[in-house]
Amino acid sequence: MKKIINELDNMVVEMGMGMAKAYPDILKFSNKYKIISRNQMRNDKVILISGGGSGHEPAHGGFVGSGMLDMAVCGDVFASPSSVQIYNAIKNANSSKGVLLIIKNYSGDIMNFETAAEMAQDDDIVVDKVFVNDDIAVEDSLFTVGRRGVAGTLFVHKIAGAAAESGLELAKVKEIAQKAISNVSSIGIALTSCTVPAKGTPTFQIGEDEMEYGVGIHGEPGIAREKMSSAKNLAGKMCDRLLEEMKLEKGDEVVVMINGLGATPLAELFVLNNDVSNFLMNKEIIIYKTMVGNYMTAIDMAGVSITLLKLDDELKKYFDAPADTAAWKV
Amino acid sequence: MEYLTVKNFQYMIETMTDIIIENEVPFCELDAVAGDGDFGMSLAKGFKMLKQEWKNVSRQDIGAMLKDCSLIILENCGGASGPIWGSAFAGAARATKNKQQVNLCEFAAMFNSSAEAIMKRGGAKKGDKTLLDALIPAVESLEKSASEECELFNAMQVAAQAAVTGAESTKTMIASRGRASYVGERSLTHPDAGAYAVGVIFTEVVSKMKKEGINQ
Repeated sequence: MKKIINELDNMVVEMGMGMAKAYPDILKFSNKYKIISRNQMRNDKVILISGGGSGHEPAHGGFVGSGMLDMAVCGDVFASPSSVQIYNAIKNANSSKGVLLIIKNYSGDIMNFETAAEMAQDDDIVVDKVFVNDDIAVEDSLFTVGRRGVAGTLFVHKIAGAAAESGLELAKVKEIAQKAISNVSSIGIALTSCTVPAKGTPTFQIGEDEMEYGVGIHGEPGIAREKMSSAKNLAGKMCDRLLEEMKLEKGDEVVVMINGLGATPLAELFVLNNDVSNFLMNKEIIIYKTMVGNYMTAIDMAGVSITLLKLDDELKKYFDAPADTAAWKV
Repeated sequence: MEYLTVKNFQYMIETMTDIIIENEVPFCELDAVAGDGDFGMSLAKGFKMLKQEWKNVSRQDIGAMLKDCSLIILENCGGASGPIWGSAFAGAARATKNKQQVNLCEFAAMFNSSAEAIMKRGGAKKGDKTLLDALIPAVESLEKSASEECELFNAMQVAAQAAVTGAESTKTMIASRGRASYVGERSLTHPDAGAYAVGVIFTEVVSKMKKEGINQ
């Protein structure tokens, strides 16, 4: 395994420090609890805290800043941050309007964020939470933890971020965040596995002509292994699934995100976007905006996820609102 | 052997810590089959910190020792392991508060309290393909041994075997918790990493105690 790192154990801290040094006007980093925060914290708005395992950069630190998150808590690569880290982030929020936790729907994140929220509530800090579960590869089920939170989380950060920035109360910000969650869906495929630095080897082997269909963002296998397919076929299959899930119809308006999982060249993402755009236009779905790039990655996985956010006037307003973060500026 | 004392718990936790650290890579490899391959590392991270902080952990009574362990584990084990293994120790601490020693009945009750704490925190139950599928059989075994008034160390050996058998049985289960739950039937034929770890830990602790005559 070749990685551009120093001591493995210091990787997340050095990453946080490097990010803060690259964007000193926007971010600062706390080594002790590995929290990326806005340089200038407001105390008169709902404070938005998110985070999770590292390895998804630019998520989530790249989305800390005006119009989006206030803090992102960094766990080890692909591991949830501890409840103690998150609790300390919540304690840092000195706002009269309370805290909203934006939590990706995974066992570890759920348990650590919920434990932290309980600890904060014991201190009489007002905390609420939303869970993002946009991935549609896995069937939603009462018997499991449910669907995964993947690239669609960024739309929740943006929409909730704009709502909070405008000074709305906690209950209203939560309601708008929940609305974004209900209107976003994603599906992903992978051409390779990825290598978690601490493990040193890829998490699964895959053949030259194969792909994993329905992957998440943690290097786990997908729901099925299939033969590699053309970009056009992939676009058709994945968009069909999204349209079916979201019950999209002629005239509906969406934002499209073509999200690279880390090792896929931009050229390929643009090829796929061409096919996705054509597909949606053929179905008379209106593409309001498109985002192509690496937003919620899985370290060095070659692959891509497609996310659609269905818009109404309110969501459009918050999507278009100003934002100044390292990885998303409006 | 009739009782496990504070000193015995000290020994068992030290041994458990070393076993987890030694098995970091094998536990990761098990987790990579259906998960994301970080279980061994996540667990070892917390227990390495426990080893580092060991001299500061309370020796006042069994409950205080376990409580201190639970906080270090909660804070330092990565991912889902922190809350789960931290809750396990916290549950055990609650059941052994102020105790200087435990008999077989109390030892069984302690593990039962651990299992309940895990279920409350994580929402899993027996059959969901988690570490509970090794821990609950061990608890049931200890309770059965207690009702039959078996000797303590014998009961521990039988319980370790029950944990290993429980872990084996997870091969036939489809995961419904954790990262393995996203791959559906592809998680079949592989044991759950957490259950497997519980089996290994129990077996090795008991084996070391016997080898060093601690069961006398």
